[in-house]
Amino acid sequence: MHNRSLPPLLLLGIAAFASLAGLPAAHSAEPSPVRKSLARISNTAQEPNYKQPWLPGFTGSSSGTGWVVSKDRILTNAHVVSNARFLTLEKENDPKKYIAEVEHVAHDCDLAVLKVQDPTFFTGTVPLELGSIPDIETEVSVYGYPIGGERLSVTRGVVSRIDFRPYAHSGIDSHLTIQIDAAINPGNSGGPVLQKGKVVGVAFQGFSGDVAQNVGYMIPTPVIRRFLEDIKDGTYDRYMDLSLSMFNTLNPAMRRGLGLPNDDRGVFVSSVASAGVCNGHVKPGDVILAIDSLPVASDGTVELEGERVQMAEVAERKFRGDSIRLVLWRDRAQTEVTVPLSHAWPFTMQSNQFDVLPAYVLYGGLLFQPLSRNLLSSVQFQNPRLSYMFEAFVPRELYKDHPEVIVLSAILADPINTYLSEFKDGVLEEVNGTPVRTLADVAEAFAKPADFHVLKFIGNGRPLVLERSVVDSASERIRTRYGVRKEQLLETAAR
Amino acid sequence: MRPFPFLSALCVASISLSAPHTKAAALERAPVAATSAKATTSAVNDLQASQKNIVRVSVTSQSYDFSRPWSKRAPTTRRAIGAVLPGGRVLVTAECVANANYIELESPDGNHKEPASIECVDYEADLALLKPDSSAFLEGQPGVGFEGARIGDSLSVLQLEANGQVQSSSGKVTTAEVTRYPIDDSSFLVCRLSVPLQMRDSMLSLPVLKGGKLAGLMLRYDSQSSLLDFIPAIVIEHFLKDAKNTPYEGFPRMGCSFSLTRDPQLRRYLGLNGNNGGVLISQILRGGPAEKAGLLKGDVLLEIEGNPIDSDGNYKDADYGRVSLGHLVSTKHFEGQKVKVKVWREGKTLDLEVPVARRKPQQYLSEPYIIDRAPQYFVLGGLVLQELSRQYLKEFGADWSRKAPMELVQVDRIQSELPEDGIKRVVVLTRVLPSDVTVGYEDLRNLLVTAINGMPLTCLADVPKAMAKATDGLHRIELKGDPSLIFLDATAAEANGQALQRAYGLPALSRLE
Repeated sequence: MHNRSLPPLLLLGIAAFASLAGLPAAHSAEPSPVRKSLARISNTAQEPNYKQPWLPGFTGSSSGTGWVVSKDRILTNAHVVSNARFLTLEKENDPKKYIAEVEHVAHDCDLAVLKVQDPTFFTGTVPLELGSIPDIETEVSVYGYPIGGERLSVTRGVVSRIDFRPYAHSGIDSHLTIQIDAAINPGNSGGPVLQKGKVVGVAFQGFSGDVAQNVGYMIPTPVIRRFLEDIKDGTYDRYMDLSLSMFNTLNPAMRRGLGLPNDDRGVFVSSVASAGVCNGHVKPGDVILAIDSLPVASDGTVELEGERVQMAEVAERKFRGDSIRLVLWRDRAQTEVTVPLSHAWPFTMQSNQFDVLPAYVLYGGLLFQPLSRNLLSSVQFQNPRLSYMFEAFVPRELYKDHPEVIVLSAILADPINTYLSEFKDGVLEEVNGTPVRTLADVAEAFAKPADFHVLKFIGNGRPLVLERSVVDSASERIRTRYGVRKEQLLETAAR
Repeated sequence: MRPFPFLSALCVASISLSAPHTKAAALERAPVAATSAKATTSAVNDLQASQKNIVRVSVTSQSYDFSRPWSKRAPTTRRAIGAVLPGGRVLVTAECVANANYIELESPDGNHKEPASIECVDYEADLALLKPDSSAFLEGQPGVGFEGARIGDSLSVLQLEANGQVQSSSGKVTTAEVTRYPIDDSSFLVCRLSVPLQMRDSMLSLPVLKGGKLAGLMLRYDSQSSLLDFIPAIVIEHFLKDAKNTPYEGFPRMGCSFSLTRDPQLRRYLGLNGNNGGVLISQILRGGPAEKAGLLKGDVLLEIEGNPIDSDGNYKDADYGRVSLGHLVSTKHFEGQKVKVKVWREGKTLDLEVPVARRKPQQYLSEPYIIDRAPQYFVLGGLVLQELSRQYLKEFGADWSRKAPMELVQVDRIQSELPEDGIKRVVVLTRVLPSDVTVGYEDLRNLLVTAINGMPLTCLADVPKAMAKATDGLHRIELKGDPSLIFLDATAAEANGQALQRAYGLPALSRLE
C-alpha cells in the first residue's frame, strides 16, 4: 500500500562528516568473524539539479556500512549508495580502498548489493548467515561505522517492537520493520544487527533525538530474503502491491449493510486502482474475507507466522509472476478470485527517485518538467493545484488523463516570454488542441511545424501563444545567456 | 484547528499587492491645485466640521466557531470612529460590525452613550450604516457631506483622544486603483494616502476628510510605510444610494474574468493588429450576466459604455485617470442596469448589453463568507455534517489553503470550473463525535458526502429528507474517497441523539437555516 504521510525519519548515512583527530587504538586480538565481514562504504554522490536540469548536479560525499552476504557480494542500504558516482570499501585492519559498483538496488525497500572490482577484498571474509525474526525483548548487537570515530562500533539493545512501518528512503513504501533500542546513528546505515551470530536485520533509519529517544529501526530478514530472492534472475522487479483502498468493517451496522455475518471478518474495498493488479478481479464494494487462505479480520489484519500483521504483508512476500488468492464477499455471496501479480505499481511520481536524470523540455525559455516528488522538493511552487494533483494522483486516478503531470516550472526571462509570468507553475493541458499526457507529447507538439503554438493550461482561460518564428530567433540567445547545454531530455534512465 | 476570526487579518492593517488582474496602472496625476495656504484652510475646515460629525462606535461581537458549529467564540470588543451623516445615521466600515451582538455609540467626549443597530451593511464593499435607537442622540450633529478626493489632494485623517479632543493628521493622496477589499474576491476602488499616523485607541474606520467633507473611510493602515488605504467617497455614495432600496442590492458585476493582452504574440494570434487595446474574456460565469448577454470566452472586450479598454484592462476615468474596468462596471452602475459593451469576435466587432448583477454569496457552491449567520450543521448519530464554505476552511488558520484538507480546498478553489450538476452546496462529514453507534468511524473527517440512502445531496437541508428513506433500519452513506460507503444503524442513531447532546454539550442536534 502506498503510504503518504511520513514521520520525520532520518536516514542513517553520514554526509561529509569532519573526522576527529585521534590515535589508532592498539589491537590485542584478531578480529572476530563478524568484524572481518564488515565494510565501511564511502559514496561520492551527485544529486540531480531539478532547477537547471541541463547542469550536472551537486556532488557530495557520504558514508555507511556494508557486510558480506555471500562469497562475492556486499549488502547495504539503497540510500547509502544512491546517486553514486564513485564507491569505495574499506575493511578493518586493511589499509587498502577497494572500488565497488552497485549490482542491484531496491529503492522501495532500501536495500542494495555491491560487487567489488578486486576479488582479493573477499580474502578472509566470511559471509554472514541470515537468521529469522527475533523475539521481542531479546538482545541484539548493531555493528557499523557511525559518527563519533573512525573505527568499527558495536552497540547493544533489545527488540522493542515489530511493525509495518514507512520506509523513509522512497517516501511512499511501508514494509515490516523491527524497532530496537540499541543506539544507531548516522553511519550505521546498512550495517548488520546480530543475534547469536546470525544477522537478524539491517540498521536503516531512526528518529532525531528531539523527536524520540532510543528508537532505531532495522530491516528484518523476510525483507532481506525477499530482495535476495527477487534478484536471483538478474533483475529486481520491485514489490507487488494490491493497489486497493480498504476500510474496516468493525461497525455492526456496516456489517449488516454489507450482509456480513457477525464473525469479525473482512475488509471493505473502497476503490480499486485501475493501474493496479486487482483491476478486473476485485470491484469496489467487495469485502475481502481471506487472502491466500488466511482469514482477514475486520480491521484488515491477518495472522502470519504467529504475528498479527497488515494484510498487505501477504502480497509483500510475493514476486512478480506469482498470484494471490482472495476470498471475496460480493453481492452477498462468497466468491473466489485469483489475482496474477503481473506488474509492480507503474507510477513513480510520488516516490523519491534516484539514479535518474531529470527529464525536461525547454522551449522559448519555458521549462516544462513532469511533476514528481523530486521536483516538489527542489522547487517552491505557488500553485496549490500542483499539490492537489500530487496528492490526488492515485486516489482520484489522475494518471488516466495525465500519466505525467507537466508543469511549467520555470521561465528563463527573455523579451519573448516577458508577458508570460502568470503561467508559471501552471499545469499544461493541451498544445495546439492536442491533449498533453506526457513530456514526450510536449516535445512532439513543439517539433511539428506551426505558425503559432497555442498552449492551454488547466484552469486558465487565456491561451499561452508562442509564435514559432519568434521562438526560433530567440532560442540561440536564451541558450547562450543561461548556459543551456541541451534543450530537452526525455530519457531519464539511469546514467 | 486553530481559531481564525474573520477580523484578525484586518486588525493587522496591511497593504496588499495587487492581484494580477488588477495591475496597478500608471496613473496620470491630476494637477495639484491646492497651494499650501489653501491646504491649511482646508485642514482647519476639517477640524471644525469633524467636531460635530464624528462619534465613537463600540461593537461587541461574537463569531461562530465553524469547526464546532454549535458554539460561538468568546465575545470581543472593537472600537471605531464613525462619520455622522445627514438624517441621523452613522457610517463605519462593515468589518467593525461583523458578527455584532451589541453596538453602542458614544459622543466624542464620552459623556453620552446610545445603543444602535445596523440599518444596512455590505461586507463586500466594507460599509455599514448604523441607526441610533434614539434619534435625539445625534441632535446638533448635522452630518457631513461628501467630496471626492483626487490624486495629489491633501486630506485629513481624524482620530479621538481619550478626552474627546480631535486629532487630525494630514497627508496626500498618492494613488487610486481597484484592489482587494477585506472579503476574498471583492475588489473596488481604493485610494492611498501617505500619512504618518499614531494609532490611538479607536483604530478602525477612521474618517478621511477633504475641506470639511467626507472623502472616505480608512480601510487599512500600514505603519511601516505610513500608507493608509481608504474607501473613496464614490464607493460610499453608491452604497448609500443603494441602501435606500429594499432589499439592498449591492455592487453589480459582469460575471466574467479577463486576461491582459499586452503580449504581442497573443495579439498577433488573436488578430488584434489594428489597435492596441482590449482584454481577453477568459472565463464566463455560468448563469451570470455576461452569459445572458451572449458574451463568449475568447471574445476581446474593447469598450464599455463608449470607454475604450486598454490592454491592461483599464479605462480612462475622468476623476482617477487609468483605473480598472471593474470600477466602471461595479461602482458606476447599479444592479439590473444594462451596460453596453463592444467586443471583438472572429474579426468583427459586436455590440452587446450586459444586465449587470451582483453575485450573492449564496450563489456560490462554497460561500466566500458567512457573517452574521450561524453555520448550519446536522449531527447524524455522531457524524457531524456541514456545508463546505470558505469560512469553514479558514478555521485551519491563515495558511488554510495549504493546511486545510486538499480535496476541500480544491472544490472551493475550482468551484466555477465544476460541471453543472444541480448541487447547491457540498455536504462534508467534518468530524465524528464517537459513540457506540459510530464504532470504526472515529477517525473519519473532512470527507465529501455524495448521497444518503440513495438520495444525492444537493445541500445540507436534504439530509433529513434522505434519512426518511432508510431501508432495513440502516442509513447508507456514500462518500467520496476512502471509505466510499458506510452504514449507520438508523434506530440506534435516532435513540442516541439525547445521549450525544448530553455527552458533548450540544444545544441542538442540528441547525438548518
